[in-house]
Amino acid sequence: MFGRHDYSFQYSSDSISFGIEPDGDIYRYFREIEGGEKVEKSVVSQRGKLVVCPIEPVNLPQNVATYMEIDFDPLFLEPFSKTTLYLTFPIEIGVFVVAKKDIKPLDVFSFIPQKYSLYGPSNGGVISRWVYSTVYAAIPEVNPLEYGVMQLTLHNTTREWVEVARALFEAYSMKIYYSDELVSMSAGMRILSSKTAETEFFKEPLAEGMKKAIEFYLGRDIPVVKHNGMMEWGLV
Amino acid sequence: MVILERLHELLQTPLFGTSLSVGNLLWLVVILALSVILARLTVTNLRRALENKISKNELEILLKLIYFTIVILGVVIALPNIIADLSGLLVAGGILGIIIGFASQSVVSNFVSGLFLMAEQPVKIGDNVNVGSISGNVEDICILSTTVRTYDGVFVRIPNEKVFNSEITNYWANVARRFDYMVGIRYQDDAGKAIGIIKNVLKDHPFVLQKPSPTVFVEELGDNGVNITVKIWSPARVWWDVKIELLWKIKVALEAEGIEIPFPQRTVWFPEPLKMDERQKVPYEKG
Repeated sequence: MFGRHDYSFQYSSDSISFGIEPDGDIYRYFREIEGGEKVEKSVVSQRGKLVVCPIEPVNLPQNVATYMEIDFDPLFLEPFSKTTLYLTFPIEIGVFVVAKKDIKPLDVFSFIPQKYSLYGPSNGGVISRWVYSTVYAAIPEVNPLEYGVMQLTLHNTTREWVEVARALFEAYSMKIYYSDELVSMSAGMRILSSKTAETEFFKEPLAEGMKKAIEFYLGRDIPVVKHNGMMEWGLV
Repeated sequence: MVILERLHELLQTPLFGTSLSVGNLLWLVVILALSVILARLTVTNLRRALENKISKNELEILLKLIYFTIVILGVVIALPNIIADLSGLLVAGGILGIIIGFASQSVVSNFVSGLFLMAEQPVKIGDNVNVGSISGNVEDICILSTTVRTYDGVFVRIPNEKVFNSEITNYWANVARRFDYMVGIRYQDDAGKAIGIIKNVLKDHPFVLQKPSPTVFVEELGDNGVNITVKIWSPARVWWDVKIELLWKIKVALEAEGIEIPFPQRTVWFPEPLKMDERQKVPYEKG
């Protein structure tokens, strides 16, 4: 499903059918998820392409957050320790039309339900896309149409034991890579104190041959100031 | 030397038989020209600096005010060169200032309130607010007034002084807010089961926040049924949509499990059994 396609692309499975087909001088994009909404859009294009790729999971049902929070079972990190582990994160699938180096999002959908949360207090915290993940020691097998795998490097820079049970990421900074078998991100979390940490994404795919996904906010021409995620309201 | 002496003589030459010399006139022109250049430079730089910070209309008014203030200052500095005594003008100016001050005190008050509102930012453009008795979305915050579009689409201009002195409720200032429901069930229904059903409905909704988690509990044993309170946190920008969507979903989910919302009812006891005439029963039996 993922990749760059011409205007004859069609995909069908038990849960979804979507694609684009000619209708006279224009093209009709359609998408129907089993038991869900039906989407139809018209595209006027001659030499464009259709790009289907995983995108930042903060757009559905509507964009109310720019952060993603992953909760996991508590980890106790010894002073000055550094460890790498794997988490899963939800993905949304973006469909873009591309022509002459310009990108326009056509559709966004997902196969999994969304849940949002509040990180911090209501008068200073942030709304985030929330997900719970098991902590894995190696890359887990997941359905790439539903979940991606995040390689997270935890670095305890303090001189005390620290308990960590969640990580907050800035969605505008996500670097998602994909192949037919895997969707991935690589991130780091620098623990600055027992209650604060800084998170960032790296431009590193988890396997060779993976392609970089379109950053949805760049596709929407939204000016974005990218910065690292700051966790100021606790790590547990 | 001769040229300088000639130039000095020329500058001292009285014009039109008055005490005003060529030198005085030249000095006046130079000061006025400098003040105009300074005013233009200031306005150009201020326009660049404030272009994205103040709305275009306000910026133009502010720039004009600054431009003419600098030019008038230039004139005031230059005037002693042509008028010997400015005291009369100053007195007149002072009186005029007092008159203008009294006449424009509400304008100045609104202007100062606007500056404080811009600095304090209790409301921002797009926010969902309640100012005094006016509720709606903030459309614009100008230097003298704030524009609110009420929920029924009516344009309301509120002077900034009133905004500043009013009690302001900003529904979008915080990123999340809580709202409550009271759901009644019949006494014969299982309240624990009802709470479980409601929690499942809330769990399935994306904008019922995971944290702070929703609270569902029996609040009251009411006259007509058991009252269950539901407290839900939601993103402030969508809380109203969530509120109007969820209540019906809860009602449908409860009824699907055989739990019903109670109607008001009264049990009436009579000291003796009621005797009903057989003829009175007929219409009811016939339906």
